[in-house]
Amino acid sequence: MNLLLAPLIVSLISSLLASLIVIVDSIVNNYGEVNININNGKKILKVKGGSPLLFTLASQGIFVPSACGGKGSCGACKVKVLTDVGEYLPTELPFMSKDEIKENIRLACQIKVKKDLNIVLPEKLFNVKKYKGKVISLKNITHDIKEVKIQLSDKIYFKAGQYIQVVIPPYGKIKQSTQRAYSIASPPSKNTEIELLVRLVPDGIATTYIHTILNVGDELEIIGPFGDFYLRDTNAEMICVAGGSGVAPIKSILIDMFEKGITDRNVWYFFGAQSEKDLFYLELFRNFEMKWKNFRFIPVLSKPQEPDKWDGEVGLVTEVMARYLETIIDKSLPKEGYLCGSPGMINACESLMRKFGIDKVYYDKFA
Amino acid sequence: MKMTPEMIRAQENMKPGVITAEGFLGHDDRNIIDIIIADEIEMEKLGLHFSEVAERMKEILKFGEKGLGELVSYEHFLIKVDEARGFLPCPFQDGVYRKKVVYVKNNANNENLMFSVLSIHLIEKHHFLQGKGSKFRLEPFKIKKVLFEK
Repeated sequence: MNLLLAPLIVSLISSLLASLIVIVDSIVNNYGEVNININNGKKILKVKGGSPLLFTLASQGIFVPSACGGKGSCGACKVKVLTDVGEYLPTELPFMSKDEIKENIRLACQIKVKKDLNIVLPEKLFNVKKYKGKVISLKNITHDIKEVKIQLSDKIYFKAGQYIQVVIPPYGKIKQSTQRAYSIASPPSKNTEIELLVRLVPDGIATTYIHTILNVGDELEIIGPFGDFYLRDTNAEMICVAGGSGVAPIKSILIDMFEKGITDRNVWYFFGAQSEKDLFYLELFRNFEMKWKNFRFIPVLSKPQEPDKWDGEVGLVTEVMARYLETIIDKSLPKEGYLCGSPGMINACESLMRKFGIDKVYYDKFA
Repeated sequence: MKMTPEMIRAQENMKPGVITAEGFLGHDDRNIIDIIIADEIEMEKLGLHFSEVAERMKEILKFGEKGLGELVSYEHFLIKVDEARGFLPCPFQDGVYRKKVVYVKNNANNENLMFSVLSIHLIEKHHFLQGKGSKFRLEPFKIKKVLFEK
């Protein structure tokens, strides 16, 4: 009899303890309704406390950029918090500079809304929206880059060069949705359809989905626009450098300039690639050269497969750009740099440009 | 060997979809502590030291980065470093690392290896070469062939 009763008693006590934990949790962690005061009263949100600031703001239609979807692994969702919300978490510190810590910059995905908060956000974030989209075209443009066209349910207003975040739904063994940032490759004139260039990253959650699971007709959510990489309204000569998926924002900027008739500026576009198979959109850029007399397109291959047939530039894109700046491009004209690519490529280009006196360098670093 | 709470948490983070699409364990159903111990024994048999391997990888990464995403030659190696937007956290939760992948070919024996910046950290700090069948698994004999044979 005792043998039968003992497990029953243990089960009963366990159930009681579990219920007690649930009740205590709902009392202790019930923060009730709290206010989030944004930009000194410009917006005041009444929200339910208890969730991370990133998700609380998103539930109110304010989307702070986050490339990882709130997992604390991208460091993008930085927000200035004027209220004391406690010590920095170990998950925040790797992303913070000393100046940012002095300024009380925090990761919105890591701090919980437990009391009234005063925060500062860039006002442009108020224009960021979530859109529903449908994939209308998927095309392999190189062995590892896919061009994705998405039809949107609403018009999106963005500056050429900006980026959006794609919400990747759970798939296969991946149980949580995630977000990744991709530059828009199409011009702002196409405001119900956007085009992205996605390079396959080994074992990448989002790029594996886009390259191997996503089909034409599938629905996707996107959030945006974001970013400070766009054409500056000056007459300076433009030195653009991008290859691979970094071509996307440069393509958007160039088409936008062409459509708007901004063709009086000198533009030099250096497209770096390994071999002929890594080049794409050549027809588009060659076509610009024919119609836009101030536009020069310089594809650069580091290892041409058929060196005898390749009549373009050979070497690293930085070496070729330096040679052009030294010997071909008019030194007397003011210049601006427009770069998109890996931090290594951008750092190398930026320091070279500065050596040549170009101090206005704009970039979309993959960081 | 007993798994500490930190190890249990790390093993959870290594499952598919938490940090990377396929995770860090492949088809290996051992606990990470057993994977680490088995690899430590294997590395010692081959005369390899985790810190030396990590240093060699860093050296190759450093030269590969000079190619700005294109192939470069260094000693008897052909190296390419690709970088994607964003960071990857270490499953042991002690840092975040850029998404840089190094492809290295040893021209002396035509053997290849792929590793990431996170792989270097996992080797150096945690002696973790990933589970069997993981895309970024580094087999000790392969490490020796690619990184140390001339």
